Amino acid sequence: MRKLIAPLAVSAAAAVLLSQVGFAANHREAPITALDHKADITDVYAFRSYGGAGAGTHVTLILGVDPFLDTANGPNWFPFDPDILYEIKVDNDNDAVEDVSFQFRFTTEQRLPNLFQVYAGVPGGANAPANSPAPVPPGTPIVPPRITSFSDAGLGQRQSYSVTMVKDHVSTPLMNIGGGPLYAVPANVGPRTMDYNALFNQGIYQTGTGISMFAGTTDDAFWIDLGGAFDTLNTSKAPPVLSAAEDAALVNLASDTVSGFAVNSIAIEVPIALLTRTGQIEPASSTAATIGVWATTSRPRTTVRRPPLPSISNGNFAQVQRMGNPLINELLVGTGFKDRFSMDQPANDSQFASFFLDPALARVVNALTGGAVAIPAPPRLDLLPVVTYAPPIAAAGTPAGPIADLLRLNTGVPATPPGSASRLGLLGGDAAGFPNGRRVFDDVTDLALRLVVGGVLAAPFPGFNANIGGKLGDGVNVNDVPYRTEFPYLGSASPGRTRRHVDPGEAFCTPLFGGGAPCLP
Amino acid sequence: MLAMKRFRSLLEPRRVGSHEMTIAFVRSLACVAVVAYLEGAPAHAQTASPAEQKIAAAERAVASNPTKYDAYNQLALALTRRARETSDTVYYDRADAAIARSLELSPGNFEAQKARAWVLLGKHEFQKALELARTLNKQTPDDLLVYGFLTDANVELGNYKDAEEACQWMLDLRPGNIPAFTRAAYLRELFGDIEGAIELMTAAYQRTAPLEVEDRAWILSQLGHLESIAGRSDNAERLLQEALSLFPNYHYALANLAKVRSAQKRHAEAADLLKRRYDAAPHAENLFAFAEELERSGRQVEAKAAFADFEVRALRESQIWDNANRELIFYYADHARKPAEALRVARMEIARRHDVYTLDAYAWALHRNNKSREAREYMERALAVGVKDPAVLSRAAIITGKPAVTKTAQK
Repeated sequence: MRKLIAPLAVSAAAAVLLSQVGFAANHREAPITALDHKADITDVYAFRSYGGAGAGTHVTLILGVDPFLDTANGPNWFPFDPDILYEIKVDNDNDAVEDVSFQFRFTTEQRLPNLFQVYAGVPGGANAPANSPAPVPPGTPIVPPRITSFSDAGLGQRQSYSVTMVKDHVSTPLMNIGGGPLYAVPANVGPRTMDYNALFNQGIYQTGTGISMFAGTTDDAFWIDLGGAFDTLNTSKAPPVLSAAEDAALVNLASDTVSGFAVNSIAIEVPIALLTRTGQIEPASSTAATIGVWATTSRPRTTVRRPPLPSISNGNFAQVQRMGNPLINELLVGTGFKDRFSMDQPANDSQFASFFLDPALARVVNALTGGAVAIPAPPRLDLLPVVTYAPPIAAAGTPAGPIADLLRLNTGVPATPPGSASRLGLLGGDAAGFPNGRRVFDDVTDLALRLVVGGVLAAPFPGFNANIGGKLGDGVNVNDVPYRTEFPYLGSASPGRTRRHVDPGEAFCTPLFGGGAPCLP
Repeated sequence: MLAMKRFRSLLEPRRVGSHEMTIAFVRSLACVAVVAYLEGAPAHAQTASPAEQKIAAAERAVASNPTKYDAYNQLALALTRRARETSDTVYYDRADAAIARSLELSPGNFEAQKARAWVLLGKHEFQKALELARTLNKQTPDDLLVYGFLTDANVELGNYKDAEEACQWMLDLRPGNIPAFTRAAYLRELFGDIEGAIELMTAAYQRTAPLEVEDRAWILSQLGHLESIAGRSDNAERLLQEALSLFPNYHYALANLAKVRSAQKRHAEAADLLKRRYDAAPHAENLFAFAEELERSGRQVEAKAAFADFEVRALRESQIWDNANRELIFYYADHARKPAEALRVARMEIARRHDVYTLDAYAWALHRNNKSREAREYMERALAVGVKDPAVLSRAAIITGKPAVTKTAQK
């Protein structure tokens, strides 16, 4: 711990000077990433699979990129970028260096070069009618039939991808057991053009080794009152404290700014035994059970020294962004440090320790509420479980490792069945949720607020009030779209023709898992 | 007999500086608009240089808001820019004054501290510049230009590994940015990758706005120098003439064109060019190059007078960082036949910095004092970096007893 003390001295001043509230979704957190939408990581999820064939034996890892996709936004929609190397990385021996990683690369074909939009279709197709002017004779196919599979002609822009697993420095391509390419699911243009859900289901691939893979444009699983949060924490409730009833309700008191928007998602479901260092499923009490997960996007770069034979070298990539926890870069790291953070390695994160252990956000909430929300004194050792391997996430005795922004997942903690899961994860008494990994429905906005303000992960500090610090929230508690209950767990992107973005003031309450929930007035 | 050609790091800030390149970048960040009357006018028809325009604009801003610190920062940056255009160090003193005022109005403000780092580099206070840049980098690790200062200071001090690391951060943080390209190009040159340097310098040129005539002329001057090292003197000639037409009498272009002429054995023309350069940039080291070409063109009396004048002036500034000690070493070693003096100055300089050009000069002074083993040791350190400068390689061939291996070195 001694190492942490020096940076903390600097941080007190820095934290107070930081006038902008860094309270946000995981969208566009760093200045450079804000310029590179395609490489912008929205969210990273890692959890024990809780449905389907993988339940009990698998972990699902999801990487979201390219925020705020509006499925109405043709004619090109949102292909993955073939220039970007997308990676999901796993540390299993507590050193914050990847031991297993999954690399995704995309290729794009344009199959309708003469049409003005990249996806097109109507049921049965449309041919040139009897009065079709020359030189196009009647009966010539003009509009392709509705798209129901990846081979259909209407899928003009078709993306396929490759997945490579790198484990212990050995690269293994992960192939579709059914043969044939892995296709990415396109944006949900609308019901006339495509059967998006059919494509979604066909876009889930298996390898022969128990791994499932998925890539495509899906609903953004995240929800938040982004407008309220970014207006310097001007949320629907001031101070942003929920009543017990509001906290428990699966309804929204404020509009979900991300509603109706899609993201590009990459998901992979992997046997736990492939990820742990022992090669088996470890009990929660095992010091080998907890893994650290993060994702990166990288682009080819110019190097000061040219590689001797660039044409045959493996390529030289610069990391554009990384993400582990949903709160670190966007909520804690100062604006003048975000790019460096994005491009550096988690193992070097001790340089940012002062941000983690004396978070400016806590001081901002404290100040904006005139002290009503009390905060503990730094150094915030209660936040260590989020940035090191420590209880209550990792088993006692697990080597803490360096301070690093990894999403920590104790793979020995059994998944909670969706019906009894809590949006508040570990803080809501649901041991299988954030900050023990992160599920698609974990309310990381409320969780991050409560974690950062303190008193919830460790023993309460003097002045902590469970009904204030323990009930912080933006008032958005549920997603606008139901999640799938098995891999890849993500909801369907809303159709471009009917997608809806909920505006502030609108009542729009949506149920979790397709159940029913009333709106609060 | 091999001609002992002078060479000075092409990126040295005061008289031959690269980091000043980046001021274009800073200026664009500051959103200082290009004066409208220039639009549509051919570049060479300009009456005020880009830096003069910036100074005028900044002075207007200061006049209308004399208590606003950022107007002084703007003025300081414009003045450092003018220092590069003219090679006149008085602008650095004026910039210092503007920075001091800015810091008075807003103590510790980041932009003023950056301007200070810039001026320190301009004044060749590399160690101080490095220390300040390190502090600023800790304060705001995302600031691109601070990595540029780290690169420049480390290059000049000879800390090439640190320079490369800082420059790589620049390339990664903002892919395609001009200040990173020009710096990476210089590192590639030092590491011996001349074609790679040309590639990046060309990319920098393509990204530079047409109205930034001095920036463009600067890049063209560097490209001319690189083409010349690569043995393509026709290309070098064209690039340097283009630089001179963009920015008439540009001191960097004149110096590099003189080198081309000298290599062509057209020493009288080289001397004329260097006279023009010295008139534009009257620094001691520029006088030395001029004197050498006078000597080569057979104008011995004038050469002698110029050398004498040079020695007096160079000795006057020998103790400070911003000096002509490299030239003074070669003067004592090769012209005045005072090897002991050469070594005395060289020891002073090697205590400050160990960049390849200082290593080269120190090794040469050792060689002239018959300290062969030490001379070889220091020369080999310079060669290990990868330097391909013909003058360095020709001295290296003598010191190490091995013939210079590259084609260009045989010239």
